[in-house]
Amino acid sequence: VSEDRERERRYRRLLKWYPAEFRRENGEELVAVLMEFEGAGQRQPSMDLIKSGLWLRLRPRVPRTVVPAVRAAVVLMYAGALISALGFIATVPSLRYFADTNHLSLLGHRQSLPITIVAGLLLGLILTGAWMWMARAVGEGRRGARVLATVLVAPATLHLFGLKGLIAVVFAMVTWLIGLSAVWLLWRPASRAFFDRDVAALAPRPSEASRESN
Amino acid sequence: MQEATFMILTALANGSQHGYGIITDVQEISGGRVRLRAGTLYTALDRLRGDELIEVDREEVVDGRLRRYYRLTPSGSKRLGAEATRLQSHAAVALQRLKFAGGSAL
Repeated sequence: VSEDRERERRYRRLLKWYPAEFRRENGEELVAVLMEFEGAGQRQPSMDLIKSGLWLRLRPRVPRTVVPAVRAAVVLMYAGALISALGFIATVPSLRYFADTNHLSLLGHRQSLPITIVAGLLLGLILTGAWMWMARAVGEGRRGARVLATVLVAPATLHLFGLKGLIAVVFAMVTWLIGLSAVWLLWRPASRAFFDRDVAALAPRPSEASRESN
Repeated sequence: MQEATFMILTALANGSQHGYGIITDVQEISGGRVRLRAGTLYTALDRLRGDELIEVDREEVVDGRLRRYYRLTPSGSKRLGAEATRLQSHAAVALQRLKFAGGSAL
């Protein structure tokens, strides 16, 4: 029995990888299923729960309840996240190149990592995270996210003027257009109504309430 | 439709089941080939509920633990039916062509 308790504790620790909302809704049920597996002598690997939990936290979510313009903006923002992630991945070879060339100059003094590479990597990560957060928050009707998205258009526009090289320009232009279109969609009359209404709708939505009572 | 999704919906096609029941049923239907893990199952269930292909049928407490039973919604039945028909027609064509080709593979 104490062994069972220890196993259950292990599973409950692993459930921390899941979003709190999911744990509230499905946590006890999932623990029960995991313990049924244990009863059948099939221990569930940690990786399965960690992967699933992370996926539920990070997966793109386009709520079906929101107005079409906001849905389109959410999709665009996930596209922005994807492009930023690609930008991040594109920076990695230059990091490897630097590591290789630095390795060759072992006898000489080592160079420190160029600031442009570090900045590129950091910016790629931050932008990916920001896009994903905005996409989700906008879908949830958070006004702050809409304001942030709008404000960010300004530095993105300024950024366009300082670019050199065709790839960098095309890359930045596409990202900029995506951001601009998303923001434009978020200020359409239908979207405005959605965001204005949502302040009152922080209480559970009627559709969810009716699902609970079923 | 992914195979795991197809199997989960199939497990629910003739009545409601709880999480572990779905897993053992899917294993049985597939002749032991598809073994769903708990995390994978609940990610799928979450998505299927969101898409309104399945819904919660009832809850029970067994040995002090929560069991939630799921069932297909009408649109879930429809989707599963459409997918099964599609697979059936593809499979029929494949088998027929193999037969014409000499049937040695069968």
